[in-house]
Amino acid sequence: MKLEVKNIKKSFGEIEILHGMTFEVESGKALGLLGRNGAGKTTTIRILMDIFRADSGEILLDGKKFEPRMHPVGYLPEERGLYPKKTVLEQMIYLGRLRGLDKKEAEANSMHWLKRLEVDQYAKRKLDTLSKGNQQKVQLASALVNNPEIVILDEPFSGLDPVNSRILKDVILELIGENRLVIFSSHQMSYVEEFCEEIAVINFGEVVLAGHLKEIKREFGKDRLILSSDNYSLTELSAICQERFQGLIEQNKVTKNFLILKLTAGKTRADLLSALLTTDVCVEHFGVYEPSLNDIFVAKVGDEETLGGAK
Amino acid sequence: MKNLFIILGFELGNYLKNKAYMLMTILVGVLAIAAMFLPHVIDLFGEDTSDAQVTMALCDPDETISDELLASFFPDCTFQRVDEPALKEKVEQQQVDAGFLVTSPESFEYVVYNKGMWDSEQEIFRSLMQTEAFRHYCEVNNLNYAELAGTLGTEISSTETVLGKDSTQNYWYCYALVIVVFMLIVLYGVMIATSVTVEKSNRSIEVLVTSTSSSSLLFGKVIAGAIASILQCGFLLGGLLLSYRINQEAWGHRLDFLLDIPAEVLLTFAFFGLFGFLFYAFLYGMMGALVSKTEDINKTTGNVQMVLMVVYFLVLFQIQSPDGIVIKIASYLPISSYSAMFIRIAMGTVSAWEVILSGVILVASTIGVGILGAKIYRNSTLRYGNPIKIRHALKGLKQS
Repeated sequence: MKLEVKNIKKSFGEIEILHGMTFEVESGKALGLLGRNGAGKTTTIRILMDIFRADSGEILLDGKKFEPRMHPVGYLPEERGLYPKKTVLEQMIYLGRLRGLDKKEAEANSMHWLKRLEVDQYAKRKLDTLSKGNQQKVQLASALVNNPEIVILDEPFSGLDPVNSRILKDVILELIGENRLVIFSSHQMSYVEEFCEEIAVINFGEVVLAGHLKEIKREFGKDRLILSSDNYSLTELSAICQERFQGLIEQNKVTKNFLILKLTAGKTRADLLSALLTTDVCVEHFGVYEPSLNDIFVAKVGDEETLGGAK
Repeated sequence: MKNLFIILGFELGNYLKNKAYMLMTILVGVLAIAAMFLPHVIDLFGEDTSDAQVTMALCDPDETISDELLASFFPDCTFQRVDEPALKEKVEQQQVDAGFLVTSPESFEYVVYNKGMWDSEQEIFRSLMQTEAFRHYCEVNNLNYAELAGTLGTEISSTETVLGKDSTQNYWYCYALVIVVFMLIVLYGVMIATSVTVEKSNRSIEVLVTSTSSSSLLFGKVIAGAIASILQCGFLLGGLLLSYRINQEAWGHRLDFLLDIPAEVLLTFAFFGLFGFLFYAFLYGMMGALVSKTEDINKTTGNVQMVLMVVYFLVLFQIQSPDGIVIKIASYLPISSYSAMFIRIAMGTVSAWEVILSGVILVASTIGVGILGAKIYRNSTLRYGNPIKIRHALKGLKQS
């Protein structure tokens, strides 16, 4: 199964919120929609779920128009909400039946997901008697009650403590393992990094970076090296590099533990290492820079922010 | 369609699980039914208080009023002849029910402690004194009182044949049924609007509209409200009418004017009442979707309430002119036909084609409002904050 979002545009009043969103994801993979608050993640998801209608563009599932109500889709909205005065099981059965299950099936699936999310003991309790975290788990269980082929989760980790986040992460990994198509939005990079193969970074209503996470990381770390020294501070080391390695490196950046250097085109790691050996720098760390998703996100969104702001 | 029934079942369950709804329905229904059996209960356990002796005081210094006349005009009363101060004292201390102070053959004073709404003693005593004056005149002028009285009071018998409708007979139950349907619309309309708004305020609406169609959601809610109201009204009204029918003889047909409703009137009431209810229920549902906080519901439902109130008073003020132009026009408008056409059928002259036309307009309008309501409901799903003006909601529909 392949879901393609092609050039989606959406305006509210006179203001265009999405400027042509394009990305795709396949079964057995998870796509992380990353972006700052107000970037357009939730609007994109709501268009996917047909809550909002796009002004232009199309959404295709295996080449045909995607209509969420015609497929088993599990949706966890950003605005969490169920019936606070109803019991957990009662409302899960209701939602399951609305999504095409019969009553028995809905009850069995509800209990399965409640158990998997470790909240089955609250099945007969009214929702408003549960803690916020447990309510959120019930909401997630409700989203999965119809065993959906496509799972769309809007900020699933928000409001969860580390233990519950771990449970949710395991559930998402299971869904991916079961060949489901998973899309979720988040700005918690560590979780995305752990199980997302594909990412789409959204900024000011457009995708500024999309693709396979490993390739993006590789590309982003290309020609970048890390360096630290035993006998110089990072600031001193930065000054030395600027002074001594002109022509070898284009720029350097001081981080908490390392100096990140970008090689000038045509230069190699060996060239830099040879140059280093001619100095009195006592090398502590020297290696290939592997950027974290957070680094990529900050770098990309930071870069684009100026562009976006100029629009 | 399947989801419509699931939603209907869920929403209806909400009503039936509501303790206040069930308690109110059962309690009021049982009380109403029990009330119709009262004559039997009184016969079994109580004394017949309807024949309880009434005591009156009479101050007639010139003794112009004979005991014979008093017994004839006040058969259930015993009179105590007293002087003026004693009369007022006895009335004040409620030792007697009332008193008459005859000041001359042509005048009297009626003395009563608390005067009831339907107190007619004064009128009866006035007739008594007129009779006495007439009798006295005959005596003075040597006329035969019995002969003259017999001639003047000749009994004229008459029968009545109503070929059309008898407004005097239909008036009260028409009046009552208009009030019943109005109350049902207001009561359940607000409940339906609240049910829609609550789903916006607890944010469950986003899950719902992505699980099923907005038409199913709104139609399910409205139809569930209609069924709940039919169950409640049916139990109360059906129980009342049936128990009265059983006890009609025991009541001596005294409540026929209110509770002996012909089947055709009830059927008309059921049809126009049901669709009138649905018409307004969809409007209420639509209004509920325009706000996101329950405390704001009155801001949008107020418009519907206003229309409903105007229609209600208009119909009630015109109920005595069922063939008048106002009721005629109102009987074709979907906002008012639920009561106006029903009044025309029960009390006026209306041809079959007019009833059918009015019915078709009402049904078509109800479906139209339902579809429009579902669209506005869908369009207003995620619009939180201040209440949305109906003008803006319609504009939004046009744009989408």
